[in-house]
Amino acid sequence: MAMTAGPILEAEGVRVRYAGATAPALDGVTLAVQPGEGVALLGANGAGKTTLLRAAMALVRPERGTLCVAGRDAARCTPEEFADVAGYLFQQPESQLFEQTVRAELGFGPRQLGWAPAPIAAAVAEQLDALELMDAADTHPYDLPSPRHRVVALAATLTVRPRLLLLDEPTAGLDRAARQLVIRAVLRVRTRGAAVLAVTHDGDFALEALDRGLVLEAGRVVADEAIAGLLGSRPDVPELPAAARLSGRLGLAVSSPRFAAVTDALAAHCRSRG
Amino acid sequence: MSAVRFAGVSLRYSGAPADALGGITLDIASGSVSWLFGSLGAGCSSLLLVAAGLAPRHSGGTLAGQVTTLGENPHETAGRRALAGRVAYVMATPGVQLSGVAATVWDEAAFAPANLGWPIARIAAAVDAALGRLGIAHLAARHPAALSGGELQRVVIASMLVLAPELWLLDEPASALDRDGRRLLAELLRVEAARGAAVVVATEDADAMLELAQRVIVLDHGRVALDGPPANVLAGEAVWVHADESTTVAGLARAAGRLDSPPPPALRPPYPLTVSEGLARWR
Amino acid sequence: MFAVTGGIAVLAFLLPAPRGPVVLYAAVLALSLVVGEGRSALRAIRVCLPLWILLALLLGLSPGGERQWIGPLSLSRGGLAAALAQGARLGAVATVSLALFAGFDPSRFLDAVAERGWSFHAGYLLVATLQAVPRFRHRAAMILEAQRARGLRFRGSPLRRARALVPLTLPLVLGMLSEVDDRAMALETRGVDARVPRTSLRSPPDSLPDRIIRWAMPVLVLAALVWRLAG
Repeated sequence: MAMTAGPILEAEGVRVRYAGATAPALDGVTLAVQPGEGVALLGANGAGKTTLLRAAMALVRPERGTLCVAGRDAARCTPEEFADVAGYLFQQPESQLFEQTVRAELGFGPRQLGWAPAPIAAAVAEQLDALELMDAADTHPYDLPSPRHRVVALAATLTVRPRLLLLDEPTAGLDRAARQLVIRAVLRVRTRGAAVLAVTHDGDFALEALDRGLVLEAGRVVADEAIAGLLGSRPDVPELPAAARLSGRLGLAVSSPRFAAVTDALAAHCRSRG
Repeated sequence: MSAVRFAGVSLRYSGAPADALGGITLDIASGSVSWLFGSLGAGCSSLLLVAAGLAPRHSGGTLAGQVTTLGENPHETAGRRALAGRVAYVMATPGVQLSGVAATVWDEAAFAPANLGWPIARIAAAVDAALGRLGIAHLAARHPAALSGGELQRVVIASMLVLAPELWLLDEPASALDRDGRRLLAELLRVEAARGAAVVVATEDADAMLELAQRVIVLDHGRVALDGPPANVLAGEAVWVHADESTTVAGLARAAGRLDSPPPPALRPPYPLTVSEGLARWR
Repeated sequence: MFAVTGGIAVLAFLLPAPRGPVVLYAAVLALSLVVGEGRSALRAIRVCLPLWILLALLLGLSPGGERQWIGPLSLSRGGLAAALAQGARLGAVATVSLALFAGFDPSRFLDAVAERGWSFHAGYLLVATLQAVPRFRHRAAMILEAQRARGLRFRGSPLRRARALVPLTLPLVLGMLSEVDDRAMALETRGVDARVPRTSLRSPPDSLPDRIIRWAMPVLVLAALVWRLAG
């Protein structure tokens, strides 16, 4: 897959106003997201996080400013025209499940984009495996327990290998095992060069899967920095996960505040103390 | 006083290969917070539904054994009538719990007491108080459809609080809530238990429940596997066998310990459960 | 509310065509603008327009009788008059219905039900059904968005668009159905089954104008009936 140099998402002074609203939902947002980056969209309810995500998928048109994804102007495109470069995970996974089996569901995207059967089957198999859905491949999505709906919906967005992944609360209501699957999936697509923009209230997910945090307040970007420093620093942002807090207080020599790194450092620390 | 009593209760959903609940016998007391803990499918939600008399009636399936909720049988019509307004059931997603006929948050909160025929003065006092306690008094005149998930969940909880229930059954009630909302909910449940209600919460969030619950019941494949004070249960190894989870710090200790064989003494059970306990053990 | 709709409908048919219905429609339009329901009046016009055109053509193209020339078409005067009458009737009823339902407040309706001692269950069912429509539409919109985000083509002829909507029906129906169970359970815990009479939260304004209208409607209808029968 050819990589274009430059940001995958570029927004300049974007203003979005919903019909009948007095205040704009987004008020002059400027940002750039590079390939491979993982950005958490943080902030209180109503701050404009979901609106920014929707604007990036051309689901809502900016009243002012420009927003480009892979060089395409969102104001001039329809969501289906973005479907080959961007993938969107909606907050309610049930609105994204259309087919009779999980397997068919995962193939929906590539079929719409006109892929040949062989590549479709390969992509579907890859995601079934990666998200541990092999057992459920021929089950009706609604027959799975409801936390799994979100995992299926995520897998379905990944089959087309989007270069920009837009996630709206990807870990809401998930048990720990499913959350781990989502974290690993996000890290995997980032290693492959895709960028991820995720609205989330989950501090664990933000720290483990993403590296940059953007805080929105009343439609404006009020903070843009490394996620580790941002968590726990403001009331409208999730707390820093316990492992990271502990490692900070203990003064462990860690390569990163993530759980795996803290685990290693803690083990080394206790080993040395005997 | 026993708020919920199960005697040999088994539940199997229609067409399911195995029991969702198998021979459960337990007694949940009023005036405390009890916590149901288990992996997906362990039976925590089913236990709550059976206590409320909602399963298997709405879901289909068969129920065996005896269930007594606040002294009544919730699986019989007479019992259900007697329990009207005394049991609160809160689910994880707010959307489906709304009445759908209220044009304002205030009306939504007033829905249940109005159905129960309370005098308007009593309703007004209860609704104003409940909205205040959930920090949503400023949303009273707003239309529910315009609210975010977190705000809606607060509306749902307030709508239950209005009834001053004797029994609270909550299934992952914090999943839609933001940080502030979680704090409010924890405080609310603490106060409810203190005033004599029975609070039963099913959740995976061990960090939150360690502080809040006096008792944890760990379910594994529909059976009671562990039962005791959270501090004891969560610090051991058995909880990992049955629920594959504990607090974050305990998980950290266990994972770090398993990197060596045998684990160093500082990383063996009983595991520290909080950051402070971890600091005390490892500094 | 229903009294007004029903009354207008009956009046529309009783008053002598073609002037009667037209005058009635004009009155209804004026009234709707006065009470601020202009948008509903416009919506009614949009709904009625194709039907009006159809009526004019259908009845106007009937042969015989006095003719009226409109452009290249020769239309029957009698037919046009009939079309005018029917069209005005339709317009009046549509406008009134839309205007009244636009202002429908489910909560107030339930309060009214409670106060009059009608069955709460029936009232709730009616309201929930009416509310189901906007919920359905909202859900359908969400599903369509999700499908477009996965590449579903939604351009082109109306036929193409209609075909594109087919995969939407299954998730729509299934979604609504799976919601019903949870919703039913939640409602039960909120006393919907209670046998006691429901408390009305706010006395629905049954002001003097409302009461006058409620009494005037049947009287007007009766008067019109008598007038017609008397020749």
